[in-house]
Amino acid sequence: MALDTAPKGWRAFSRYLMLTVVALFILFPVYTTVVAALKPGNKVLDNPLLPDAFTLDVVKSAWTEGRLGRYLMNTTIVAFIVTSVQLVTSIASAYAFSFLKFPLKRLVFGIFLSTMLVPLEVTLVVNRRTIDSLGWLNSFQGLTVPFIATAFGTFLLRQVFMQIPPDLREAAQMDGLGHWGFMKEVAIPLVRPTLGALGLFSFLSSWNQYLWPSLITTEDDMNTVQTGLRLLRSSDLDKPNLIMAGTIIAAVPILIVLVVFQKQLVRGLTAGAVKG
Amino acid sequence: MKTPNKSRLLLAGVTASALFLAACGGGGSSSIIDSGSTEAPASGDSSAPTAAPTTVATPLASLPPCDTTALDSATETIDITFWHGMNGDLEDSLTALTDEYNASQTKVKVSLENQGGYEQTLDKYLQSSQDSRPEMVQAPEYAVQVMGDTDSNVPVGACIESAAYDTSDFLPKALNQYFTEGVQWSMPFNVSDPVLYYNKKVFEAAGLDPNKPPTNMAELRTMSQAIVDSGAAAFGLSLDTGADSGGGWFLEQWFAKLGELFSDNDNGRAAPSTKVNFDGQIGIDLLTELQTLVNDGLAFNVGDNASGQDALLKLADPDKAAAMTIATSAALGTVLTTVEGGLIPGITADDIGVGPMPAPGDADAPGAIVGGASLWIVNHDDPAKTAAVWDFISFLITAESQSTWAAATGYVPVRSSALEVGAIAEKYTSDPRFKVAYDQLLQVSDSPASVGAILGPQREIRTLSARAIATVLQGGDVAAALADAATQANALLSAYIAANQ
Repeated sequence: MALDTAPKGWRAFSRYLMLTVVALFILFPVYTTVVAALKPGNKVLDNPLLPDAFTLDVVKSAWTEGRLGRYLMNTTIVAFIVTSVQLVTSIASAYAFSFLKFPLKRLVFGIFLSTMLVPLEVTLVVNRRTIDSLGWLNSFQGLTVPFIATAFGTFLLRQVFMQIPPDLREAAQMDGLGHWGFMKEVAIPLVRPTLGALGLFSFLSSWNQYLWPSLITTEDDMNTVQTGLRLLRSSDLDKPNLIMAGTIIAAVPILIVLVVFQKQLVRGLTAGAVKG
Repeated sequence: MKTPNKSRLLLAGVTASALFLAACGGGGSSSIIDSGSTEAPASGDSSAPTAAPTTVATPLASLPPCDTTALDSATETIDITFWHGMNGDLEDSLTALTDEYNASQTKVKVSLENQGGYEQTLDKYLQSSQDSRPEMVQAPEYAVQVMGDTDSNVPVGACIESAAYDTSDFLPKALNQYFTEGVQWSMPFNVSDPVLYYNKKVFEAAGLDPNKPPTNMAELRTMSQAIVDSGAAAFGLSLDTGADSGGGWFLEQWFAKLGELFSDNDNGRAAPSTKVNFDGQIGIDLLTELQTLVNDGLAFNVGDNASGQDALLKLADPDKAAAMTIATSAALGTVLTTVEGGLIPGITADDIGVGPMPAPGDADAPGAIVGGASLWIVNHDDPAKTAAVWDFISFLITAESQSTWAAATGYVPVRSSALEVGAIAEKYTSDPRFKVAYDQLLQVSDSPASVGAILGPQREIRTLSARAIATVLQGGDVAAALADAATQANALLSAYIAANQ
């Protein structure tokens, strides 16, 4: 597909038509969410598809009653910590697996990768007990530490590190660069697109975490935006639009991040997928 | 290929810890997008019990003590954290009561922490170490056995004894729900039971008396037929299969109404239950009845009631509405507020009728068992804290507090004296709909069969029966579905007994 030139005429038309139809399907729930969020509570069920009454009150009350400002701040802090520390640990471990020689390297790497097969749910109870016994419930440590290393990131970076020709490493050595120097001056700059993609990916998944934060927070002040939305949902039959408004508020920051960095994400994850 | 040894070591170190951490975090980066478990909101709730302390007595003496005078000697304000599962309007009412308490005195300061719902509260409580637990927790009625088995609480019975607290005007059903093994474990706070909600307008349009809701399934069937035949509504009854409602809780209610044991060993009150009885003829008849209603087009199954309100909302369906549904009385306040807010076109608050939960078949069995939740004191080996929690609990169950609480929510006051004071006295007179749930609780005998079961894995068993009922309402074989669920439930019971011996 990458080598394809832009299709012309009928083919282009049919392709765009299909994409538009699919996009409509995908965007429809988003549309109804926006419409409901901008309506006063008692109008939500008449004409659910038409924005015939307009008010920002619901969005405002979702922000204030739902304390979404506080939750967004928590989520942002957590996402930044997880992302930055993940990048550091991934670079270091990927570098070790690519450029260092140590006993049982392949075996250790195999074990490392196998942790990707262990779903979060399996480790949930044990992890929660560990965090509890460390006294980290309701803390940023508790929210972030279990996620600061990732086999996925290590694997991704190792694959791109492996593509750096050994000659480069030798040349750097000749010039007197040690491992730290080589990593900093040569390896990292070369894999920057992948780093960007990995960072973005970490940020997104950290932002969207629900299960873990919901388990280790009991104080309202430590809720992330995803667990906070749950409280907003509540049982208020008469405020079906409040949760819609909250969802939009929670989604806007991450949408902006995604739109700004979309190229980075696609390029980084497909880099090296095709040898060229 | 000379490598500085230091760097090498460092890198290896980071790698090793990364390995460790990656193992902890599972696929760290793999996204954990979770929509969140949906949870019955307003009401989740369930069965009830009573019964004399027939179980092997655990004397209060062997449990953590309560000295209610310890608060008097406390010199500074005692901070109490209270985990609860109340959402929406219910949370607002609870917050108002708590604010009132905090403002009324200076010795104790209560902080509310909403854990999202009954299930989340209970899960977090069970998973936490004793130090991470709050001073006070609200646990649902189905959790009596598991909570008691955590050995983490000061039984309120100890405080009742210490304070010589007078419980003579309490509803015996409400207290007995949380009384096993000779111990009053916790204090009932929000008590509810299922009632029939119906649309009076539809009854009128079908030529039925809008003030005479059906009292049993046979009547309900006749009336539903009239409603459907007259075109007043598309369905007579809206049913659901949620574990907290039509699938699990109601099943226990129906057994209790009939005075039949839900499980052996006197509903788990003489000794831990080893088997459930819902796969017997009573269960089969009951579910066949529901299945026939659905098959004949008289009832509509809304599914697992994920929002907790699906069955109720079916009454407001603009195209194919149902005329009646069964739901917890705790939803009544919310339902009326919602309808008054004008959300539901064509239905006003006066159109909502409330009647007792219909009994199975043609039985005359107006009773119900207690649902809702109770208040537990968590043991932190600090007499002042225990006394402080007791002080707050005794505030929440005063006649005045219970009156305010019940009038705002639709919950049933836990003591009869609440009916004479404040908001509920006025409400029960001006709006008898609120009193239906209360009256139901006065109707049944205190035999173990009529007070409902206490089971260790009660929540899980409700989930199993809910699945079976879902199968049945979708046309599955009744006996097979129930037998399958019962087999799994019995296995859970044995496992629980084995694990807690």
